[in-house]
Amino acid sequence: MNQHLARLVARLAPVVIAFALAFALFVATGFSVGSVASGIVEGVLTGRGATTNTIRWSIPLILIGLGIAVSLRAGEFNIGAQGQFLVGSLAAIWVALRWDLPKAWLIFFAIVLAVVAGALWSAIAGVLKVYLGADEVITTLMLNFVAIQLVQWVATGPLRDPFSSGDAASTERLDPSLRVQGSGEYSLELILLTIAVIVAVWSLLERSRLGIAVQLIGANPKAAAWQGLSIRGTRLYTYLIAGGLAGLTGATEVFGPAGRVVTGSTPTLGFTALVVATVGSLAVVGTVTAGLFFGGLQAAILYLPIVSDLPPSALRIIEGLVALLITAQLATALRRRRSTASPLPDEAPEGQQPIEDGVQHVLSRRTQDEAG
Amino acid sequence: MEEFIASTLRSSVPLALAGVGALFAVRAGIFHLGIEGLMLASAFTAVGVAHSTESIILAVLAALVVSAVLSTIYWFLLDHLHADAIIVGLGLTTLSVGGTAFFLDVIFGQRGRLDSPVGLPRPIRGADDGAASLVSELSILGWLTPLLVLASFMLLRRTAFGLRITAVGTYSYGARAAGIRESRVRLAAMLCTSVGSALAGVELALGGLSTFSEGITGGRGFIALAAALFGQLHPLATAAAAVFFGAANAIGVVTQVNSIDFVPRPFILMIPFIITIAAVTVSAIVRTQAQQRRMERLDAHEP
Repeated sequence: MNQHLARLVARLAPVVIAFALAFALFVATGFSVGSVASGIVEGVLTGRGATTNTIRWSIPLILIGLGIAVSLRAGEFNIGAQGQFLVGSLAAIWVALRWDLPKAWLIFFAIVLAVVAGALWSAIAGVLKVYLGADEVITTLMLNFVAIQLVQWVATGPLRDPFSSGDAASTERLDPSLRVQGSGEYSLELILLTIAVIVAVWSLLERSRLGIAVQLIGANPKAAAWQGLSIRGTRLYTYLIAGGLAGLTGATEVFGPAGRVVTGSTPTLGFTALVVATVGSLAVVGTVTAGLFFGGLQAAILYLPIVSDLPPSALRIIEGLVALLITAQLATALRRRRSTASPLPDEAPEGQQPIEDGVQHVLSRRTQDEAG
Repeated sequence: MEEFIASTLRSSVPLALAGVGALFAVRAGIFHLGIEGLMLASAFTAVGVAHSTESIILAVLAALVVSAVLSTIYWFLLDHLHADAIIVGLGLTTLSVGGTAFFLDVIFGQRGRLDSPVGLPRPIRGADDGAASLVSELSILGWLTPLLVLASFMLLRRTAFGLRITAVGTYSYGARAAGIRESRVRLAAMLCTSVGSALAGVELALGGLSTFSEGITGGRGFIALAAALFGQLHPLATAAAAVFFGAANAIGVVTQVNSIDFVPRPFILMIPFIITIAAVTVSAIVRTQAQQRRMERLDAHEP
């Protein structure tokens, strides 16, 4: 139990420090700490519609975050969730606006197409990485920018809303009767869907052949290959899963709270979900918890301008600080300072590192790959 | 055509500066995803200082300092707290996106953009015809870029310092055994990267329109990193790759200026990113094949 507690503290410490730094910055620039703090509490829990908004933002973060967790567990840095999400939402909105079907079938096809679109978008990077060795970090990032332009095209061309105003172009709105959730209300369907996905991903990772293969390949690809596992196949599956979940999120946003696809001002769910997955130690329960936390944060930050003038960019600052610190091993640094400096290198040669924390291991593997 | 060449040259300056800067970090074994953030923070600092002091020199110096400070934090997190380079790099970029928008609002009371009263000087501005017109839009940094590329080449390939950087990145254990103080070498490499990124940011903001707008970098930091990889981590090849990506960018500029619209504009703006994906793939294939050849050669030498 003590060990679990220690691990929990180690996970939470960076988040707490990041918040402290962000708050220090807000105070230094003239915002009152009391109004910001009470604004956050109101925005997450007590304010009008606060819990609804927390759940509203938690759902996409959890769905995308789980996909990213699967990818990272296999050692694949698929950071293209934003693009996969956008492509999925384009597929969903296209079906919803242009297909002429009964409501149930329409939603069914929209979801299927969104999942397929997201998975294929992700698979572009997956195939380039797995079969040709192209670095997935660069390709997935670039695919995000391509997807942003695709949205731009769709929202200013084929599905343009002729009545949209302001800087951001927008597609036509979904017919209200098709939506499962308007703004400011719960959607039981989306919550149930999210729970179903959580259970599915959990059983996939913890109770299936593929889950074991993902874990093994992430920890030690060579050993996994000697066990006769298909490295390429498994890795490709993780791209399909991550992309599929991000695409699904596109559909839930279109039929749920967003109701349309907008250019420009969409909050960058993809990156927040990456932070969620890493804060959640790439575990299912951890990712869900972190998803609720950051969902609340997103809700609070969108609520804050109402009470304290804090610009929405504050959320990016907090996220950036958390991302800076979350993989830092604060405890190790302290321990090392206390022990006497040793002339020996602090890492064993490749192949002899002890496996400690799952995330740290997977995350640190890349630099060693690069070095080797 | 002349317009295209001129636009290519201008577009490739920030990519070349940041790309050659990226070389140092990547050669030292750090997959530096924070370049985008460094460029953004430098661009904002430069315009902010220029806006307040109207001094171009102070603006450039401030950008260099901010970039160096952020790089030192990055280095500290990697080297002393063993954080993950990719997550920290993306975090640095996000922090810069948020920080620039935040300070733009809090300090200058602006949303979206900030104009600077001064810009980088253009040495031969105003030439309208002939070869000179191709380069009349180039800022002083544009003219310095070839020199900086050459200097990086000398530094990386002809000095002990450069060889140490490469040694640290290629075989860390061996470098340590040879008595190289890895941590310091990595810091030095990241500071070199910070200079390239800072100059790239300054060029973006003050080289042309003398304005900072939110998200002004638009992924150029990531493309610069890709240019370094496409250039197989060689300074001259990286600069060539930057010109190549700059040309892809210029297609967008030229078609917009001449309002050519045979394909929707978003598809033209995609081109640089798609070309980057293709380039990264090609360089991966080349690398794998070279490795295979090396292995075959080793096999052939076995008795």
